[in-house]
Amino acid sequence: MNPEIVPIHRKEFLREDGMLFVRTDGILDTMAKIPLLVASMIIVAAVMPIQSSFSSPRILDLIIYPDGSTHVSSEIDVDPLVTDFELDLFGSTIDNFVVVNENGFLLTTDVLGNSALVETFGSSVITVDYDIHDLVSKQGRVWTFSLDAPSDFTLLLPKNSAIVGMTNLPINMEIINDQNQLTLSAGEAEINYLFGTIPNIPDPTIPNIPDPTIPNIPDPTIPVDPTSQSDNLTYAIIGGVTVAAVMGVVAIIRIKQKTIKPIHDQQTVQKTETIDTETIDTETIFKLKPDLREDDKEIVRFISNNGGQVLESELRKKFLQPRTTMWRAVKRLERNGVVEIEKKDLQNLVKLRKNMEEEK
Amino acid sequence: MKILALFTIFVLIFGTTSTSLVSDAYAQKNTKILLDIATQADTQILNQLDRSYGDLVPSDIQTLYEKGHAAVESLENSLPDNVEQAREDFLAAMKSFMEITRMISEPATEAKLTTSSDTSDRDLKSELNRLHKYFQSLKTIFQKHNMETDFSEIERLFVLAYEQINSGGIEEITTTFHQLESLIHIKNQEIREYSSNSSSDRIIEFALKQLKRIQTILEDPSIDTSTPEFENANSLIAEIKILISEDNISVAKEKFGELNKIMKIIKRSTVE
Repeated sequence: MNPEIVPIHRKEFLREDGMLFVRTDGILDTMAKIPLLVASMIIVAAVMPIQSSFSSPRILDLIIYPDGSTHVSSEIDVDPLVTDFELDLFGSTIDNFVVVNENGFLLTTDVLGNSALVETFGSSVITVDYDIHDLVSKQGRVWTFSLDAPSDFTLLLPKNSAIVGMTNLPINMEIINDQNQLTLSAGEAEINYLFGTIPNIPDPTIPNIPDPTIPNIPDPTIPVDPTSQSDNLTYAIIGGVTVAAVMGVVAIIRIKQKTIKPIHDQQTVQKTETIDTETIDTETIFKLKPDLREDDKEIVRFISNNGGQVLESELRKKFLQPRTTMWRAVKRLERNGVVEIEKKDLQNLVKLRKNMEEEK
Repeated sequence: MKILALFTIFVLIFGTTSTSLVSDAYAQKNTKILLDIATQADTQILNQLDRSYGDLVPSDIQTLYEKGHAAVESLENSLPDNVEQAREDFLAAMKSFMEITRMISEPATEAKLTTSSDTSDRDLKSELNRLHKYFQSLKTIFQKHNMETDFSEIERLFVLAYEQINSGGIEEITTTFHQLESLIHIKNQEIREYSSNSSSDRIIEFALKQLKRIQTILEDPSIDTSTPEFENANSLIAEIKILISEDNISVAKEKFGELNKIMKIIKRSTVE
């Protein structure tokens, strides 16, 4: 007759099989305050994109001049508790060396070979500017820039230069008054360029910025405003919601447009072909240009039979010629005034000239 | 409250994914840049081959070119969806073009660039642009130091020099260039002298502040006061204070360097 003493609350909640069940209803109310949770989540969500837009505090900008000399401009964090800072230079042939602190005051420096001792005395940021002749070499017509960069950097190439080889993927490219400015990652980089026989074709999607080398124009070494990137992010986030709402409608419209477009294109091609059949016949061309090579005459006949215009890739397929050989043949015909070359969707469109007789 | 919680979760998810959306947008832009660079390189290489070899392109170069061009075409086809493939194609194309440029370059003419004293080899416009940039830096420093000085002659000469470059007068531009170099050198001396004098105050202020900080560290009970480094540090502090009072900044700087080294040893032994 000794009944087991069971606490009232246990007796109330325990079932016969002895399993423990926990009520989850209202757990949030009891264990955490929802408004606090909500506020925290909003802050985390808001901060995440901003955090991802932060970049390295170090700035390194390089400008290559047409003679191969390079202007280096960098901003470096230094220990404000030490008296000096040993700066590694990118070479030993240095000109116009200037170091200022965060207040723009000139600092005393001592350049020794590939390094410079800068008397910082409490400065926390220094800006270094100098010209160097060690980063670019020339072999024949090809110029080679090489650098083992300690951080991401921008590189402004000379006007009318064209890149013909590079070892790294660029992070970004801008056109600054017909000059290519690349943004490259830290590490070893090598870029081959030459002064082009064709000018740079400005891409409308790439921003064009005024010439940095001409006097009285803003200094190109001033870093790109970092807020511009974060602005883009903000706009993207705000615009994202709106875009998502109208995306479906736009997609439908685009699909409809795509189905309509080819008809227009076909009509345009047909019209062009109709016009091109009016070009002069091949025999007249051969009379006007008696010095044409036999293989070039074959090309002219093919273009003429094709309505007076043909893509260079089609010529290669027809005559089974390598690209360089066909390119030279087409260029030869262009020099002779028989054809003209137009760019069409990144391809060369070769057209017979209509005004050959007038020229003659 | 449930609606609010759901909204917050939506915001959180959107906040997380929006960055990747933006990154994708950047990636798309970058791949377009890759195609632009590769296409331009392709055209330039073709021109170079045409110029260097005419109809007789060596077979090894021809093979390399075909490889590079195929990579450019593949890059074009990879866009805009296959970013990884596009990157691989870009590097493959540029590698081939780089090899071609090495092969078609003339090894005999290899030379590192230096500033040449031979006028015929000089790119005077580049030199003038560099000098102008240097002048702008100095001018900004003058302004920061609130130093009043006359730059009108230098600015006049720059305008003249650019005019002479456009008109092609080599001798005239060389003379103007030397005048500019000389005047800018004078300004450089002027600002460095001023800066050297004004930096003394900055150095004294820095040194006194640092000495105070070091003294606070040395007064910490955890520091072993029986070591020779402790003795040396205290005597150096006294010495530096005397040197500063005597305005002997250069020696004070040296002693400060020594003190910093000793403080590092003291800190290390305290940690151990």
